[in-house]
Amino acid sequence: MNLDSSKKIVGDCISEVTDGKVVPVDDLNLIGKDACLDSMKLVELCLALEDKAAEYGFEFDWTSEAAMSRSQSLFRTLNSLSMEFHAQSQIKQ
Amino acid sequence: MILVTGASRGLGRSVAVRLANKGQEVLGLSRTCSDLPFQNVSCDVSDYGAVKAVAQDLKKGGKEITGIINAAGIASMNLALTTPPSVTQKLIQTNLMGTIYCCQLFAPLMIRRKFGSIINFSTIAVTLGLKGESIYSASKAGVEGFSRAFAREMADFNIRVNCLAPGPIKTDLLKGVRDEQIEAIVSRQVIPKIFIADDVCDLCEFLLGQQSQSISGQVLNVGGA
Repeated sequence: MNLDSSKKIVGDCISEVTDGKVVPVDDLNLIGKDACLDSMKLVELCLALEDKAAEYGFEFDWTSEAAMSRSQSLFRTLNSLSMEFHAQSQIKQ
Repeated sequence: MILVTGASRGLGRSVAVRLANKGQEVLGLSRTCSDLPFQNVSCDVSDYGAVKAVAQDLKKGGKEITGIINAAGIASMNLALTTPPSVTQKLIQTNLMGTIYCCQLFAPLMIRRKFGSIINFSTIAVTLGLKGESIYSASKAGVEGFSRAFAREMADFNIRVNCLAPGPIKTDLLKGVRDEQIEAIVSRQVIPKIFIADDVCDLCEFLLGQQSQSISGQVLNVGGA
């Protein structure tokens, strides 16, 4: 899995949890004042990414100390989340 | 499957046995595994990593969790001024942090199904403000505050979160407490009698079941306070 495919997966998951109401772009804000997702949708996104990761044979851990302590960057944008998703896919391989 | 922490003794054990006898699939969590009449796994709830490992195993096993009963807890009856820092730390870490860890890590297993009930154990001492239980009460007051807010966070996922706050219950743990002390607490309950573990089990069954589907974010003081 490369970074582009990670972005595609994250983007697809965002579309899925928002019923297609949000168009996924790199700098899409996932948290904060201009967030496209409420907290409930954010949790659903994390669970959807867990499922996708399982399909690809790795575990996406969004509850880890590292992920949580970097939450400002991890969940800031589609791009930052995709980078974390990609990084975790590489670690587990 | 219903998860019960603190399942090797006291009220946790009683609740787990009751549910297992009623045909529920129960997984008990406790620091020391023993010969229990239900599935059980060793887990110190004050250890985030240990709780996470159990959650990961359950996820891998595809287990559907419908209920979580956080009954694990420790007590230390002492004046605040004579409670050593290590004991204070241990009380907070086990009673409060343990409950938070279990909610954080097990609730996602219920979110997928958008169904479930979480029961966190508090104590009537929080409401009554009992002398000699200040640190213990502080840890449980934290549980109550956490539970009220967590209930709102989980409401969108159709997961209910409530607290049970027992007073003195006839278990082995009461054997070391003087009768006058017990009577002093019981006399302050709305219903001034000593309840038994079965009464708490009844409330757990109620809060786990559909009959309580309109109840969330509440603290039920056993006997009233």
